[in-house]
Amino acid sequence: MTSRRRMLLKVIILGDSGVGKTSLMNQYVNRKFSNQYKATIGADFLTKEVQFEDRLYTLQIWDTAGQERFQSLGVAFYRGADCCVLVYDVNVMKSFENLNNWREEFLLQASPSDPENFPFIVLGNKVDIDGGNSRVVSEKKAKAWCASKGNIPYFETSAKEGYNVEAAFQCIAKNALKNEPEEEIYLPDTIDVAGGQQQRSTGCEC
Amino acid sequence: MEDTASYPTIEPSNFDLIVVGTGLPESILAAAASAAGKSVLHIDSNPYYGSHFASLNLQEFTTFLQSQSQSPNNTPAEIQPDSSSEFETVPLATRPMYSSVEIISNSPEVLDNSRKFSLELVGPKVLFCADEMMNLIVKTDIHQYMGAFQSIDGSYVFDGSNGCLRNVPDSRSAIFKDKSLSLAEKNQLMRFFKLVQGHFQSDGGEESKRISEKDLESPFVEFLSQKIGLSEKLKSIILYAIAMADYDQENKEVCKVVLKTKEGIDRLILYHSSIGRFPDAPGAMIYPIYGQGVLLESFCRRAAVKGCTYVLRMPVVGLLVHKDDTSYKGVKLASGQELFGHQLILAPSFILSPGLAHSSPGMQGVKVKVTRGICITKNPLKPEVANCLVFYPPQSLCPDQLTSVRVLQLSSNVKSSPSGMFVIYLSAVCDDVLQGKKILNVAINTLFSHPASADNKDSLVDHQNENTEVKQKPTLLWCATYIQELTTDVSDGFNSTTMPDADVQYNNLLDATRKLFQEMYPGEEFFPQSVSPEEEAVDDGEPELESKSSETLESIDNGASGIEYTS
Repeated sequence: MTSRRRMLLKVIILGDSGVGKTSLMNQYVNRKFSNQYKATIGADFLTKEVQFEDRLYTLQIWDTAGQERFQSLGVAFYRGADCCVLVYDVNVMKSFENLNNWREEFLLQASPSDPENFPFIVLGNKVDIDGGNSRVVSEKKAKAWCASKGNIPYFETSAKEGYNVEAAFQCIAKNALKNEPEEEIYLPDTIDVAGGQQQRSTGCEC
Repeated sequence: MEDTASYPTIEPSNFDLIVVGTGLPESILAAAASAAGKSVLHIDSNPYYGSHFASLNLQEFTTFLQSQSQSPNNTPAEIQPDSSSEFETVPLATRPMYSSVEIISNSPEVLDNSRKFSLELVGPKVLFCADEMMNLIVKTDIHQYMGAFQSIDGSYVFDGSNGCLRNVPDSRSAIFKDKSLSLAEKNQLMRFFKLVQGHFQSDGGEESKRISEKDLESPFVEFLSQKIGLSEKLKSIILYAIAMADYDQENKEVCKVVLKTKEGIDRLILYHSSIGRFPDAPGAMIYPIYGQGVLLESFCRRAAVKGCTYVLRMPVVGLLVHKDDTSYKGVKLASGQELFGHQLILAPSFILSPGLAHSSPGMQGVKVKVTRGICITKNPLKPEVANCLVFYPPQSLCPDQLTSVRVLQLSSNVKSSPSGMFVIYLSAVCDDVLQGKKILNVAINTLFSHPASADNKDSLVDHQNENTEVKQKPTLLWCATYIQELTTDVSDGFNSTTMPDADVQYNNLLDATRKLFQEMYPGEEFFPQSVSPEEEAVDDGEPELESKSSETLESIDNGASGIEYTS
């Protein structure tokens, strides 16, 4: 029997400011896009229910809430993530170069028990811009980097047009689920303080 | 992430509030001001959140403690006066908040696992399920960032007469089950708890059930012996393990703070209302997984979500003072950048450089300190108990023990330590360094045995009583002891938050923080009840950033976005 905690999958989205992290989340969960860029304020996390083998899981997608701007995400943000999504803008070289820093920062802060096999996913966003004429990072280059880091799955996306977003997040969900939480057996009876407020879901239908 | 010498430029350069330091009070204030619509900049010189309230790995913890216990060697940079500016810069320094730091390491295994520890400077601290901090956590919904909690499974009091740990009878069922209490004692306690219950429930109502005002103002110790007639033993349990008095209440000469009946009753009521608040928590107290540092980081995230700008690794070198009225207008960063804020909050360790305006690092009038210790072992203090609190009432350890020693044991189920290890926090209020170190060493000696290999180390305890029950005691693998200064929130044109207090809970800290907020922003509500996500999204014109979308629910119903999982 799976514990209650297992029903919730934590996904964090990392990448430089302005690469479209919030837009990707928003496109996936709400199927909406806003052209107006505003450094993220008010974004918290979005949740989406996903189904596997007749069981429902809650995908909890954590936005950086703007704390990535000065590399000031705290350890609590990284901890307990089941999947880490790395996003760059195909039109901005620096955002691609920084993927390595973000990946290392994640591994350092989250210290997953098996860093070699921790599920990352890379998204090259904004492929729609200027019909692809302004892109500076080729698909080949991005895929080569992903291959060198243990075959990280790679998707080219456009949050604006909704291109490939659903497919990317399906892969994210699948990989998050495959990531076995470490030391799960030590977390049998944790206390959920929201449980005092509302009826807690029984969690498991099996 | 990038450890470059070049600091980023912060934009904009004007804020309603600049908060320096990311301790719990600063983080709550940043979140409260952001929630009230203020533009806030929150900065810290460290690469992690928390300042004096941080949860750190063993290496970080040791480094922090040692760096903060040295006299300020940060000779303030010569700041060139700029005659064209209407501001001048007053250099800012830090004062040492910790002293007599001693670290003993008896096991390479502990050091090798440094990153698997999450040690905190404020310990022992816990959350009561019904305390003000917990209410704030639930009200602001930040528990969704905090993750899960573990329960504190037991609460024990040390019986000096036989050297045993006894259960603290903190509820009627605990009294009922307690085998160490005589029938007469059970009756006494039951009657007393009933009286307190009656007093609590008749609040504003039936006068007959209320404890009289005169009694409420009287010392709790007198109330318990004269009005209730509790035995010495029970009185001690109530005073130090439930009401959590700091000082020996029986000894008027040394008792600096006399606990009033009113305060004692309030703490008893907090205990009772905490039990059963959350269905999964069997006891009164809980502890956040990964430690108290998660709490302040959650307040910071809440602040960030409301628009607060976060910059770690950014030292502040000076305050900007208006030339005309010498009021503080902003901060000068290590990068040289000048930022302006209508209000300024500084972590407690900051002082204006000695020789300028401010007096020496004196905590004026405050002579009390906290002695703290952190011990790491492989065995619990009590078999089969993962997380627990233990109280050593005054004089229970030795005749000159003037204050209560509190101990919190945490197992690896709160992720404070690697699997199979325990972290034990100790603290007591003390008048001076000598007294503080002595009482802590006696407590550590009572609780633990030292491995034989420790002989060549500079051991901090005397071994005279060690032969008695060595075999049952957990072996001390690693230990840090230190004295921490307490501060009051002195305002010198800028607002300072306070150092972690000696309490095991956050009520006083939260009161002081709320007060500071209300002084800065009179008329603003301290964390207004949050509006529903839908309203919020409309309010600030953000594109549908809801915590849970309605489409989500639809997609469950028709299974449209259900992912097929083939394995």
